[in-house]
Amino acid sequence: MTSKPQAATGGAKPGTSAPSQTSTQEYVVRVPNGSGKKHSMIKFSTGTEVDFLKLTNTTVRLERENNFKEYKTAHNLETMPKFGAGSEYGREQKEEARRKKFGINIKKYNPDDQPWLMKVGKGKDAKRYKGVREGTITENASYYIFTQCADGAFEAFPIEEWYNFQPIIQYKYLNSDEAEEEFLKRDKTMNMFSIMLRKRIKNEDGSQDTEAEEKEMKKTKKRDKSLILTDMDDWGLSDDDDDEDDDDEGEDGEKKPKKEKKKNKGKKKGKKNAKMNDNDEAVEESDEGDFDDRELDYISDSGSESELDEKEKNDKYDDKGVDQEHGLKRLIDSDEESSEEDENKDEEDNDEADIENEGGDDDGEKKDKKKKKEKKEGNKDGAESDSSSSSSDSDDSDIDKNEENFSSVLFMQKKKGGSRSNSPFEKLETTKSESKSEGVKRKMESEDTNDTSKKLRTESPVITPSSSSSSLASSGEITEEAIRRYLTRKPMTAKELVQKFKTKKLELTKEQLTQRIGQLFKKINPEKKYVNGVLYLSVKKAD
Amino acid sequence: MSSNQEDSSTSRQVREVDLTAAGRGVWLVKVPKYLSEKWKKASGKCEVGRLKITRSKLPGTKPEVTFSMNDVQMKQEVPGKPTITPKEHKFLLTGVGNQNLVVFSEQKKDAANSSSSSTAEDISEKIAIEGKVIQRAECRPVVDSSYVNLKKEQRVVMNKPRREIKQIALPVNVYKPKSDHKANIEYQKKMKEEGKRIRMDKDEVQNKLFSIFEKHQYYNIVDLVRLTNQPITYLKEILKEICIYNVKAPHKNMWELRPEYRHYKEAK
Repeated sequence: MTSKPQAATGGAKPGTSAPSQTSTQEYVVRVPNGSGKKHSMIKFSTGTEVDFLKLTNTTVRLERENNFKEYKTAHNLETMPKFGAGSEYGREQKEEARRKKFGINIKKYNPDDQPWLMKVGKGKDAKRYKGVREGTITENASYYIFTQCADGAFEAFPIEEWYNFQPIIQYKYLNSDEAEEEFLKRDKTMNMFSIMLRKRIKNEDGSQDTEAEEKEMKKTKKRDKSLILTDMDDWGLSDDDDDEDDDDEGEDGEKKPKKEKKKNKGKKKGKKNAKMNDNDEAVEESDEGDFDDRELDYISDSGSESELDEKEKNDKYDDKGVDQEHGLKRLIDSDEESSEEDENKDEEDNDEADIENEGGDDDGEKKDKKKKKEKKEGNKDGAESDSSSSSSDSDDSDIDKNEENFSSVLFMQKKKGGSRSNSPFEKLETTKSESKSEGVKRKMESEDTNDTSKKLRTESPVITPSSSSSSLASSGEITEEAIRRYLTRKPMTAKELVQKFKTKKLELTKEQLTQRIGQLFKKINPEKKYVNGVLYLSVKKAD
Repeated sequence: MSSNQEDSSTSRQVREVDLTAAGRGVWLVKVPKYLSEKWKKASGKCEVGRLKITRSKLPGTKPEVTFSMNDVQMKQEVPGKPTITPKEHKFLLTGVGNQNLVVFSEQKKDAANSSSSSTAEDISEKIAIEGKVIQRAECRPVVDSSYVNLKKEQRVVMNKPRREIKQIALPVNVYKPKSDHKANIEYQKKMKEEGKRIRMDKDEVQNKLFSIFEKHQYYNIVDLVRLTNQPITYLKEILKEICIYNVKAPHKNMWELRPEYRHYKEAK
């Protein structure tokens, strides 16, 4: 080459062969091999401003991440001492031989393959970056850096590795699940700054929080469960029982003023009350299906009973059984639905009977109808009352509310579940209140039970007592219906009847039982027949 | 450098980066493989070619950069690759965009030390920032007959199947029958040289054992036989006096000194 002498001088010379418009310079390019330097590229992700020029006064540290421990644990390598106490002679070799025998090939830990850690600055203010090797970039082409030396010649160094450096995030952030949760609340959240704060607080008193949540979960679950659980064996316990108990409780704990409150209060209140009741009960854990809402739906028709029962721990299951049954029944044949309605009425009737000793179903039914009409009206008001009630209710359930606001998805769903699911509790309340004072009770009841009765009506406009009796068979209490059912089946003596109910695990004394049945007899007014000198009671089906 | 680099998990030196060259602007050039292979073959500080930068005086036009290889480099042979490659290359200059590219280098320590234990410490001794990329370029060959030939050859090589079917007439004998294998011969030779293991004085053997047990706690009988060069029965006699034989799992079938003879620091 003609330019060789130039190269010998090693300098860059302005080109001589330049046309007027251009100036050409020629430089020697050298590739210094064997300098022992390994060049790598740092590629900062876009947005990270790192300028080493400005950092000349600060310390920048670059080191390989040490993943040796991770490597060891990942490959199940023992960390036995290599010498001294506890060490085995030739352990490593033996292990390796053993692994080879089984065809296990473990990649050797190569510290050079570990990602880089860069620390810019010192102490707490240090910014950290992690550089991960980018593969395949030098697969089909090579990269060289060209630097100009002092003598003007270019030196080319191969770039052997590329590393993508990214800042290591040190602050706390929401993980994907939490972020998702917050995102769901995006329209409700006014202050986005409080999100992280809340998270921190949550972490701090995590134990407390979780406890509370657990409790709540239990409560809800429990409630559901109590509604859902069936115990078919215990069919045929009477509802009246509960009513009585209820009465007692009402007298003990809640008095008139509360009732009046309830009048105004809508579904929400009922729900809360129910919760409170649950609280009183022993806490029970249960696994839960996901279809709590639906389950509640079924139950809603007979909710009052169930609620009452909740108070009595013993009878709980039986009642639930009833509820379940109702739900099923409704599914199976629509005719039966009427029975449920009847039940409700009957309960009311019973109450009346208890207190007023009025006879005759007709009377009660008429009253019921009236009530229903009233209830309808009440219902319309219900929504409004809800909102007002929630605000006024602060006394019983501040905590609950808060929790609701916060908390578990489950609970939220329940809320969304709407009036239907809530209705049973409402009813509960009403029944309770009923027991307390008659005069007020009527109206109240009518308003409160509204929901359910209305629903029932839409489902089953025709009321057939006979069918109702069959449905009642499932119930575990002494009710008019239950007795009716027994008596329609076959004529029975009073003793036999008492015996029937006795077997149902009721916690009543014999006197109470007989008294109750006697009252119901008055109401039902069964046909009496003497056979062999024994009084047999029976009821005709066409009733 | 500190020599206790055995334990890579504990001792870790944080390296400070030499930032003196941080301000230097460098070009990042993408180079075709055939070229880089030849460059890597280049010995020492030798020159591989010349770079011509032609700046036009008209504003707004990019400078034209061409690279032409040396004749010496042209004749450089890379095994398995075609030798004839294009001589002239053109640099296609592109900006860096908003990429923040920095070059750093690791100066390797002398390889003798690092061969024993390969930890991060002794491989990268000095890290320095070499500069910031201010210009990216792509080195493209000027298409001429040599380039076309190169591509042709590359193509032929690429399309050649890695494994081919060959038909053979007779089965190939992979091995030849042997009267005695190499390993056997070696072993026998060794045995002859060593002769029979001769019983030494009991005290001597014990001392030997003690010194052996200083290094490790547990030994297999086979290893002890080899280390002491004593007949196995005799060794066992002695071992029974001063050692315990482990029958159970963690160190099964291994001997360890009786507690009264030990003087470890109780690492367990």
